[in-house]
Amino acid sequence: MKSRPLNVLAMTMLLAISAQAHHSFTMFDATKQITLSGIVTSFEWTNPHSYIEIDVSDEGGAVKHWSIEMGSPSILQQSGWKFSSLKKGDKTTLVINPLKDGRAGGFLNTATLPTGKTLGNGPGRGPQK
Amino acid sequence: MDLKKIFCATLALASLLPFAGAQSAKTPDLTGVWGTFKGGKGPNAKFAAPPAGQLVLKPEYAKPYEARRAKEAEANQRGEQLANSGAQCVPYGVPTMMSVAVYPVEIIQTPKQVTIVSEAFSEVRRVYLDRPQAPLEDVAPGYYGRSVGHWEADTLVVDTIGIKTSVNGYRGMPHSERMRITERMKLVTPDVLHDQITIDDPVVLEKPMVYTLAYQRVPDYEMVEFVCDNNREFIDENGIVRMKVKER
Repeated sequence: MKSRPLNVLAMTMLLAISAQAHHSFTMFDATKQITLSGIVTSFEWTNPHSYIEIDVSDEGGAVKHWSIEMGSPSILQQSGWKFSSLKKGDKTTLVINPLKDGRAGGFLNTATLPTGKTLGNGPGRGPQK
Repeated sequence: MDLKKIFCATLALASLLPFAGAQSAKTPDLTGVWGTFKGGKGPNAKFAAPPAGQLVLKPEYAKPYEARRAKEAEANQRGEQLANSGAQCVPYGVPTMMSVAVYPVEIIQTPKQVTIVSEAFSEVRRVYLDRPQAPLEDVAPGYYGRSVGHWEADTLVVDTIGIKTSVNGYRGMPHSERMRITERMKLVTPDVLHDQITIDDPVVLEKPMVYTLAYQRVPDYEMVEFVCDNNREFIDENGIVRMKVKER
């Protein structure tokens, strides 16, 4: 969790400059980070946001499905993302800020691709390209 | 040819000057992709946008506006966001489309028309340079209204009317059908563009609201498609923006 204060700072800065953004990020808990390792069921390179749908198995084998919001394609490409960066069946590890309401959703901080490369979620959010 | 005829011909020519006739070899070319100006500190500080003027609404509009802003701030404190047009994938319109988060705008300039495309939501404005503004009663209220422009030396002056009242203005300010927007677009350096926006509304505003947007060129940038076809935000029964999650 070393990167947490920086991440919170980055989110705050983004909130400050994105007054006209599609929505604010208040629905996500910027103070909490969760790591999800699982199998991608779809990678949606779409507007106004892109999404990673992912199945995560626990130690007992139970599978929980998560919907993870990302920036838009325009913003993601600034972090090195492409429409083909992930596909169905890929194994990936995601670090996210969970939804505050407890449902299985969140906002991406970083994703580690099958190639081993770790990408952020747009300028000011995680590693850049 | 008598003097009267010469006078009439000169007058007719002069009336055309504010339109196509103002374009010259010295006319700046605003064509290109423009992103938010980022060099507001250090040696480039002088090219940053000047501070915005004060938004002064007439008392009958100020009260509900301030109440709404307070409600938004309270919701934010609770970690919630109140419904807004962006969360419903409705375009922003003029003038807000000129500054949506970090998305660039593309300007395509020809002698008779300047076209402005915002990457966010693929919004398009057309500024006609070769014709006068229409009377307000002839312009169908919409997101972009009707824009005409002319060059005053190195500055493109754009006049926009006909923005419908459901389209929020600067910082969500209300406006009437009589809102008039005057923009003065000028290259302060070859790669820094300023758009000074003056919102005038005799019904809603005590005085015109003036603010400036600063842009910098984004060379070789290819605009990204933006069609809002996967909007997972929804407004719940309390008017709060939430996100749909998918079931397995």
